[in-house]
Amino acid sequence: MNRILKVSYGPALLVFLILMARFTFPNKMTFIIELAIFSIYVMGNNILYGYLGMVSFGQPFYLGVGAYATAIFLAHVGTNPLVGMLLSLLMGLVVGLILGPAFIRLRGDYFALINAATCAIGMFTIEKLLLPITRGDDGLWYRARMSQIPFVDIRMPDKFFLFALAIFLIVLILYNFMDKSALGSSFRAIRVNESKMKFLGYDTFKIRWIGFTLASILSALSGSLYAINFGFVNPSLAEPHRAAEVLVATLIGGAGTVFGPFFGTLAFLGIKDLVSQYIAHWELAVGILTLLVLFRFSKGIWGNTEAIMNEKFGKKRNRSVKKLLTDKAAT
Amino acid sequence: MNIDLLLPAIFFGLSVSGILFLVSLGISIGFGLMRIINMEQMVYYTFGAYMAYTMVSATGSFLLGIIAGILVAAFLGFLVETQLLRRVYGKELMFTMVVTFSVFLIGIGIIQYTWGLDPKPVSSPFHTMIPILGVQMPLYRLFIIAIAFVVYVLIQLMLNKTIIGKAIRAGIENPDQVQGLGINIRRIFTVTFVVASGLAGLGGSLNAPLTMTGPYMGFDMLLFAFITVILGGLGSIKGTLVSALIMGQVISVGGTIWSPLAFVAPFIVMFCVILWRPTGLFGVTGKAFGFQE
Repeated sequence: MNRILKVSYGPALLVFLILMARFTFPNKMTFIIELAIFSIYVMGNNILYGYLGMVSFGQPFYLGVGAYATAIFLAHVGTNPLVGMLLSLLMGLVVGLILGPAFIRLRGDYFALINAATCAIGMFTIEKLLLPITRGDDGLWYRARMSQIPFVDIRMPDKFFLFALAIFLIVLILYNFMDKSALGSSFRAIRVNESKMKFLGYDTFKIRWIGFTLASILSALSGSLYAINFGFVNPSLAEPHRAAEVLVATLIGGAGTVFGPFFGTLAFLGIKDLVSQYIAHWELAVGILTLLVLFRFSKGIWGNTEAIMNEKFGKKRNRSVKKLLTDKAAT
Repeated sequence: MNIDLLLPAIFFGLSVSGILFLVSLGISIGFGLMRIINMEQMVYYTFGAYMAYTMVSATGSFLLGIIAGILVAAFLGFLVETQLLRRVYGKELMFTMVVTFSVFLIGIGIIQYTWGLDPKPVSSPFHTMIPILGVQMPLYRLFIIAIAFVVYVLIQLMLNKTIIGKAIRAGIENPDQVQGLGINIRRIFTVTFVVASGLAGLGGSLNAPLTMTGPYMGFDMLLFAFITVILGGLGSIKGTLVSALIMGQVISVGGTIWSPLAFVAPFIVMFCVILWRPTGLFGVTGKAFGFQE
């Protein structure tokens, strides 16, 4: 019980702050909805990049899998959005389990590029091969077909906001739990020194596979939420060009941290919103910011904030140990 | 598919190969020599195309456009290499990948800021058609093939006959030993990088009349260039040429059979190559890359 409290304290506080923000700035609700959904997507990428150290240029594919699973279900088969979401999660799981073993054997940029290739092939499948089902570039429209679900009517934007926030809270708590668990530690250990992990008797292949599948599931969930939120999908959601967005958001927020993805998304979407009001080109600002983060603040927004907070308010014992270490390094 | 369509497709494919070769050379050498992944190579390509557009619309001379494209691209390459990339040599490959990718984003931002978002058309300098084997071929496509061939010969001559070329080749084998011989490897890096980015600019200005010149033109080319480099084997110039020839045919003939294939067929090739033969056709074997186990 104590452990559950410990894990959910931070996420609950964050979600409370988001709720406050929603009522302080009522006209920013669409932005906050996108923030919550995109954060889940970035969390998926954070498992790959931040924890396991694998760069993927094909994350939009996994987003598209989730979005189209929900969309095809809602447009052709059923009417219940929750079933669509479950279907998306299942598709994410299946895709991760199938593609994982083939991809994670590869290192470095081959992993990144095979994901880009998968993304391009996936988009081609959606656009051309499954044309009768997905209607290609026109996109699928199914807003009118969505039925009411118990408790909240998620067809209304302000109700969907609560729904998305609840999902975000659950995912964040589980994510925090993963970070503190042995799994999170093994992810980080693989990133630091994989051969040592192997020497200690861990099956690093399996751990990577789990990480890859988790990332795929989270992206699919996010895609499904996008699909329900917009009420329509088109292939531009899964364009290979958009792979940069999620990577940049992960970097800015702080790779390998629990709340990094949220703050990275906040910064990324905020910059995109703000900058496009003035000069309409977000690439320049985002590129410069990324370089700055890479060379000066390698821990990202949340990573640096966390470090400062630990310095100021952390446990005394930790501080003294840290001081000892820095003193030792200085001399 | 009838044979009347196949022959033009093969010739078109050759011109596509020419562009691909010019553009992907920088990525291949960048990995072979400097051990970095050059994602920002396509910035020079895009700048080359935009210089061609600017010069053609300002003066009407396409030759001037090509020269300006090469010079601007080479200068940008010099700037990026000396100011930024020096700091990332010897770091993790993933780090270089992300750094050069953000340079790429900045380049796109600058292009959008200078030239705007809408695509710019560049008219082809020659409209003559030349009959070859009973097929009417645009002279411009033949011109591209010829230039790519000349560039290949020049590069081979430079690598095999000049001291600096020999130093580059030795650097691909073992940079530390080259440095031990008293050769300033940093200067070699700069020279190579400037040449490679100039070639990318050349590729861009040559490709401008064939495609729409837009800020995002580098993105599609980036993926195609990477496919070319991986198929040929990272760090091998001969491999890059051979795989550019193959990729050109895949794009062109594939597109003739069924037009959507022009976009997706290269990715299917890449998918298969990475899964079955990650070292590429002429790549260096060993644990340089790809598989470690």
